[in-house]
Amino acid sequence: MPQLRGSQSSSRADEFVENVHDRGFSRIFGIETEYGVSVTENDKAIEAGQVAMMMFQPVVTRSRSTNTYLGNGARLYLDVGSHPEYATAESRTPMGALAQDLAGERIMGRLAADAQQRLREHYGDGTRIHLFKNNTDSSGHSFGCHENYLLRRFVSLRTVERELIPFLVTRQLFSGAGMMGPDGFEMSQRARFLDDAVSSATTRSRPMVNTRDEPHADPDHYRRLHVIVGDSNRSQLATWMKLATTHLVLSVIEESVSLGERSPFDSCMLADPGQAIRQVSGDITGKAPIMLSADVPVREHSCALEIQRSYLHAVQSFVARHTSSIDAILPDAAQVLELWENALDSIDRGRWRELSSWVDWAAKLNLFERMRARNNGGSPQLEARIRQIDLEYHDIVNGVTYPSLMSHGALRSLLGEDAIREAVSNPPADTRAALRGAFVDAALRKDVLWACDWTHVSLASGNRLEAELLDPFNPEPTEEYLRVMAAVSEPKPSQNW
Amino acid sequence: MPQEQVRRNAQSQQQDETQQQRSDDAQQRMQTQDLDAVLDDIESTLESNAEEYVSSFVQKGGQ
Repeated sequence: MPQLRGSQSSSRADEFVENVHDRGFSRIFGIETEYGVSVTENDKAIEAGQVAMMMFQPVVTRSRSTNTYLGNGARLYLDVGSHPEYATAESRTPMGALAQDLAGERIMGRLAADAQQRLREHYGDGTRIHLFKNNTDSSGHSFGCHENYLLRRFVSLRTVERELIPFLVTRQLFSGAGMMGPDGFEMSQRARFLDDAVSSATTRSRPMVNTRDEPHADPDHYRRLHVIVGDSNRSQLATWMKLATTHLVLSVIEESVSLGERSPFDSCMLADPGQAIRQVSGDITGKAPIMLSADVPVREHSCALEIQRSYLHAVQSFVARHTSSIDAILPDAAQVLELWENALDSIDRGRWRELSSWVDWAAKLNLFERMRARNNGGSPQLEARIRQIDLEYHDIVNGVTYPSLMSHGALRSLLGEDAIREAVSNPPADTRAALRGAFVDAALRKDVLWACDWTHVSLASGNRLEAELLDPFNPEPTEEYLRVMAAVSEPKPSQNW
Repeated sequence: MPQEQVRRNAQSQQQDETQQQRSDDAQQRMQTQDLDAVLDDIESTLESNAEEYVSSFVQKGGQ
């Protein structure tokens, strides 16, 4: 049921100030990744949609649907237009969300590899499935990587628009996945496809922040900020930095609203975010002028670097003010700030290559420029090869570029195989996902009829039993939940009586 | 500031810059070697028809 709230924002803000040292700046993070599918080297024609269905056959067998939840708390489904999609379980940290997102890569990769085996029986031994963790195809369709941040409801959408959008428009300096666009290299794959800054629709016009009011939590206290402006990252550090910096910026915004202070980001408001994001995307110097809103006093223009520096400085001062509770706000905050500042300094000095070990666009552009240098300039064949690698970098099944960059130490990683394997089978232990995951595992073991969504688990067989899990921060079982779990574990009545 | 010191400062700054330049060059060479190794690696394994590889990816729908 859609619920419109917000009138009590001032009282909620007071409460927040009191609770700053309790749940203060804690947040729930989630990433939804849409994957693109293609097939090559096949002897007979087959549609990408059929390939996606084939991938999901084991899912249908297990859950009687192409839309299911997993034992690690994640949601796995086939979205509109045959997009395999993976939505991570609720995590309390950017690192936890990264682990869950990488688990999604593994799970999708396994589904694709199995489908490839089966396809080869009918479509030739060379048949290859490609699963692209990117945001655009060869004919200009775009699809997203959506970030979810639980946000205190007293922060209005108008505030988000004014204060967060300039950050989202310019963070592509380090979070962009990079692509060879029709007019040259671009830092962001999504920039060309976005227009309105904030909107409730996603497929008709593409906003940067989606406002569908589905907090999947207590709607009196929270809203779910659905950021759809970002690129899908392959670099682990880029995914982590994207979530960590956005979290810190949101914390600054929450604090300034709750204290009734003037926003530190007033001077960053943009005249036209849609135009600005395209300008930023094509400018790896970070210095091209961007028009500021008429509401910004004195200055008419700024640039991506300058806007990012404003955000960085406000976050540095926020972190300095909260040193005693910083581990609760963000473990490794110091490292985040250092990487962020280094990234801006490198770009400022025209030394973007220094970022090629963790910024996706820089890793790709570095490679493309080396290819051109090795071949003494460009040729149509070379440019075609570059476009292939531009796409191939994102293939999580048969891609060779990304694994090769990793094995030669040209790209850094954050999480080892053990951590990723752990996240494939286990939900984060400190959120509601722990309850969902345990329920799904138990229900699958007992082969009962079950259903769940982000806020409910239920049993459909016998007497219908349901438990609501409204608090995403709470991994402790409620009585209602325990009743459902007890019913799942009951021995099934014998068939032979 | 005495002239002697100004000269020394200028000298040491120049030394710093030269050192920085050297370490940059060394880093650049290493990076190039790594990239060449990556390119040697992948160019032999990439699917041969680059254009077909790209054009065969058409995704409908999506948000």
